[in-house]
Amino acid sequence: MGNPPVPIDPVFPSRTLRCIAAVALFVLGAATASAKTAIVLNSDDDSLSVIDGDTYKETSRVHIGRAPHHLMLTPDQRYLIIAMSEGNELVFIDRTTGVIAKRVEVSDPYQIGFSPDGKWFVSNSLRLDRIDIFDAATFELKHRLPAPTMPSHIAFSTDSKSVFVSLQGTDKVVGIDLASGATEWTAPVGRQPAGMWTDKAGNILVAVMGSDYIAELDPKTGDVLRHIVTGRGAHNFQASPDGKQLYVSNRVAGTVSVLDAGTLAVTGLIMAPGGPDDMMFSPDGSQLWVTGRWRASVDVIEAASGALKATIAVGRSPHGIFLY
Amino acid sequence: MHLIGQVQGIVFENAIEPALYQFGLMDWAETIFDGLEIPLLGVLAIGVAYLLFRPLELWRPVERWAERRAVRTDIVYTIVHKLGLVPAIIFLMLTPIGATIDGYLRFHGYIPPAIEQMLPPLGAWPFVTFLVYVIVIDFGEYWRHRLQHRLPWWWALHSLHHDQRQMTLWSDDRNHVVDDVLAAMWSGTIAMLIGVTPGEFPLVMIAFRLIESLSHTNVRVGFGRVGGAVLVDPQYHRLHHSIEHARAPYDRARGCNFAVILPVWDAIFRTRRRERVFLPTGVAALDGQAVHCGYLAHQLEGFRRLGAALAKLINRRRPGFAAAFPAE
Repeated sequence: MGNPPVPIDPVFPSRTLRCIAAVALFVLGAATASAKTAIVLNSDDDSLSVIDGDTYKETSRVHIGRAPHHLMLTPDQRYLIIAMSEGNELVFIDRTTGVIAKRVEVSDPYQIGFSPDGKWFVSNSLRLDRIDIFDAATFELKHRLPAPTMPSHIAFSTDSKSVFVSLQGTDKVVGIDLASGATEWTAPVGRQPAGMWTDKAGNILVAVMGSDYIAELDPKTGDVLRHIVTGRGAHNFQASPDGKQLYVSNRVAGTVSVLDAGTLAVTGLIMAPGGPDDMMFSPDGSQLWVTGRWRASVDVIEAASGALKATIAVGRSPHGIFLY
Repeated sequence: MHLIGQVQGIVFENAIEPALYQFGLMDWAETIFDGLEIPLLGVLAIGVAYLLFRPLELWRPVERWAERRAVRTDIVYTIVHKLGLVPAIIFLMLTPIGATIDGYLRFHGYIPPAIEQMLPPLGAWPFVTFLVYVIVIDFGEYWRHRLQHRLPWWWALHSLHHDQRQMTLWSDDRNHVVDDVLAAMWSGTIAMLIGVTPGEFPLVMIAFRLIESLSHTNVRVGFGRVGGAVLVDPQYHRLHHSIEHARAPYDRARGCNFAVILPVWDAIFRTRRRERVFLPTGVAALDGQAVHCGYLAHQLEGFRRLGAALAKLINRRRPGFAAAFPAE
């Protein structure tokens, strides 16, 4: 590609900022000592909510940076990465202390993901129609690919050779060879494809937000193998901790569908009004936490019964969620 | 703001999102959800302005009028420009253009710096950051306003704002739609350059709108020597709207009191006029049906004035827009 390496800022740019971050994240650091703590990214408020998982109360709200949307653990599980799309940076929070360890400058990181072997890091810019592929060890930019339009969610092949990205402004999913950056295939799946998932068979699942189903794709060819109807506005995936169930949020229907992770048969339906988006299980697997984009809240649902346990008010447009 | 957020969620979830889904427009969901905040904030701005400033107009009006048709036109302006047409144009047209320019710059290695990056301590003080945004954007607004008066073609549009002889709290939105789009591009560009996020922009703009509503209010009030030096008050801005400005030394091009929020810009650039007088408003050369008409007729009048001003620029022998060239 010939693109210059992306500069890495391994520590804070100034002592002042380091102090501010230490103060700002102090509460977060303290909160990590709790038995169960949720972190929610309020994408329209540029803030992060810390929720006590025992009392279901928001214990603090920290101004974290511009437009935080998604977050994930590093492959070694040492850091929690928060992607600040309009802040143009990845913030690495030390999982044990809750303190910001470093910031890495990345242009408009929206959805992020590591390949299963931990070798590649992919960052999608939904707003700017671009997919960036990095060497995960050094965060050196390897490929910057135009991706019209709205490259959104990410899934990887089980052999870590390919990345699959939903192009939310179209009806397509694109498959890309990670090493070369070459497009392997582009496949129509239905209007406004969003969430991506690699299922137990190694096939690719796509939640088709402009419709009411998920599509299963052949990762080699992009051929659609079948549709599974879940609910209007099928949006995102989350597996249960034991891997037996797969949950699909249906944004327009305001529901979460429960699927058998092996057969993909729909086995249940949970009410989750308010634009359900990202989901995360509590560490013990008993609760499913769901962010409600339109209601500025998080629903806590008993996984076994599907009963609503609590609704917690957070900041505007809560998106990514993570539970310790 | 929490109440606005709740209303925003309810309206979007129950009315807008199902329609987007039905028409295959779910890729617009987040954009329209965010955009919905603008008319809701507009409702808030109108409500707050009316509740706070209308009693002032009843209490100590500068002028009383038996016939208020021209004021009703300004009310239509406020509704259309705060709630409907202009926010829709700005969001649906300018946001993608802004994102495209922003994307092009970033794709080629230029990332616009945020104010917090230039002044890291601001990162922990969102409200102070907000005030810095207001100051920087207000500085840009001052110079946009100067150009609106200086450039004949822009004055042809801006004269719609000034030709009102019954200035009230509703007159702030009395602008040509092209002028409003230019204003949005101007302030939106500055906001993008200093790193104001789209989510923060409506909040900054509502702060401007409230102060601008107050400064147009038909009330015999000033903020005194100290207060008036800090914030634009109704007396200060009325001088800017004075009908005298068709005459030297306060003609259209030179004028006075251009500041939108902070009078300090007028002090720095020597355009401040501080006299304890409450003068009639309007443009001497503009009156009659072209001024005292309804919303659509007034908008068409703006296009006519713009056309005349542009024709004059192309061919200097053309008569032009009379009020655009008062010195001639």
